[in-house]
Amino acid sequence: MFDKKSLVLMASFLMLAVFSPLSGFSEEPANCLVCHSSMKGKILSPAGHMIELHVDTDRYTESVHGSFSCTDCHFKFSENPHASPGGVVPQNVLAVSGKISAKHPVDPVAAAACVACHEEIYTYVLGSVHGRNILEKNETDGALCLDCHGSPHYIRKKEDPESSVSRGNHVKTCGRCHGNRELYEKYGLEKNVIHSYEESFHGRKLHLGHMKAPVCSSCHNAHDIKTKDDPSSPVYGKNKLQTCGKCHEGANEKFIPAISHKPAGPIPHYAEIGLIILTMSVFAFVIIHVLLEAYSDIRDAVFRKKEDD
Amino acid sequence: MSPAATATKEIPKEIERFNIIFRIQHIIMFTTFLLLSFTGWGLKFAYEPHGVSSIWIRVWGGAEIAGLIHRIAGITMLLDFIWHVIYLAYLFAKKRMTINLKTTVIPLPKDVFDVIKNFMYFLGLSREKPRFGKYSYAQKFDYWAVFWGMFIIGFSGYALAFPMQVSYIIPEFTTGWIWQLFGIMHSDEALLAIVFILFWHFYNEHLKPESFPMSWIWITGKISTERLKHHHPIEYDLLFGQDTPKKKKE
Repeated sequence: MFDKKSLVLMASFLMLAVFSPLSGFSEEPANCLVCHSSMKGKILSPAGHMIELHVDTDRYTESVHGSFSCTDCHFKFSENPHASPGGVVPQNVLAVSGKISAKHPVDPVAAAACVACHEEIYTYVLGSVHGRNILEKNETDGALCLDCHGSPHYIRKKEDPESSVSRGNHVKTCGRCHGNRELYEKYGLEKNVIHSYEESFHGRKLHLGHMKAPVCSSCHNAHDIKTKDDPSSPVYGKNKLQTCGKCHEGANEKFIPAISHKPAGPIPHYAEIGLIILTMSVFAFVIIHVLLEAYSDIRDAVFRKKEDD
Repeated sequence: MSPAATATKEIPKEIERFNIIFRIQHIIMFTTFLLLSFTGWGLKFAYEPHGVSSIWIRVWGGAEIAGLIHRIAGITMLLDFIWHVIYLAYLFAKKRMTINLKTTVIPLPKDVFDVIKNFMYFLGLSREKPRFGKYSYAQKFDYWAVFWGMFIIGFSGYALAFPMQVSYIIPEFTTGWIWQLFGIMHSDEALLAIVFILFWHFYNEHLKPESFPMSWIWITGKISTERLKHHHPIEYDLLFGQDTPKKKKE
């Protein structure tokens, strides 16, 4: 009547029923992971949100937060199939959860839990152009912790190549929004930022493994990122002198336009067309000349040998 | 260059075509050219699939070392070029070199006609090969291509390698586009130079049946009078006189 899988699942639920009244049950991640490591797929909550059920135990324990208890972030569940852990939610978490509930409707408390430890950084984020888009404009697009750092269960140090904000993944992560036409058109952002970065010397060097090549946040800052029109932005007007100067000592006003996300103006554009035409014409001449000469050399060797002697 | 010999003079087996200074300049030129091509190619085509370029750059010691090699080779090449120009000026000043239309490397209308003549010969429309002076149009093309490359690639490369120093001398109104222009000039013309050398120079001086595997002039500086007569008849006539009886074949 029951297959093996459902028996295992039932056993786990029975265990849950037996142990749940005991305090400390849900502080032990193993207890949650008994079920959540084997559960697959998503479930529709009563409020109509899809909730990912699976937690990869190995990746979780490898992550920087791998030693945490589940209830360190999941203080309580609002839509609850479980016996509620019912822990006390810290004041700052509660305050932030109210502000970001539009973006993280499923469990704003868990999403805001980062602030419990990373209070200073979270303050920067909420004051940044990303955070203010959520707080002041009530949009859901601005990036919060998880948008850049990925699933909270698998966050890695940025030095780890697998991290979504590592040097190798950083630009791709920003590009998820800034290379997304829908978003840059909605907010009137510079269109070409990812492509122009990748084409630049900075982007190429990064791609080839140069250790000093700058990524997005090297010039734009990360958590306290501002729009380029904000006087406190590192890429606002003369602030660039200092920003570029971090690597290029003595950066001056004629030097800083060397790197820009703006598309090429008419002079470089037509110069490039001219140079391409020149290259192609030289190439065509050279190829035709070489091929014809080779042909005539072979012809002379085979058919005209005697005539020459 | 070499003083014209009279027709009565005995014809040597070989003559010097390039002195040691020119040969050293050429060796520095091609060494740095190869280094620049190899390291620059990886940067120009950084996004080749499967990380090919990343692997290639790692062969050169990684992005930092490859960049250093590229800069050192670039400066060396520019100095080599400047040396060449100063040396030519010196030779002219000392009257050790004079402009003679039969031996000059300066392009002349004759070169255009030579191209046409040569194409006619290739196509079998004419049985007559053009008669070249000291430098055929192919060799003149080779020579002046370096000048073009030096001005376009060399200067833009210098600006890209030392942007801070160059930023002080570029005029204010150019800053909006000149950096991009430097990048385009450097990258596009470098590709042209590589393609040119690969097909033109390599074919003419290496792959051509009569040259294969290479013309040894680059190391010996000497050309046999036999070859001179065949490939540079106008120069041969100038040196040894038109009426010299044909040398017997061995």
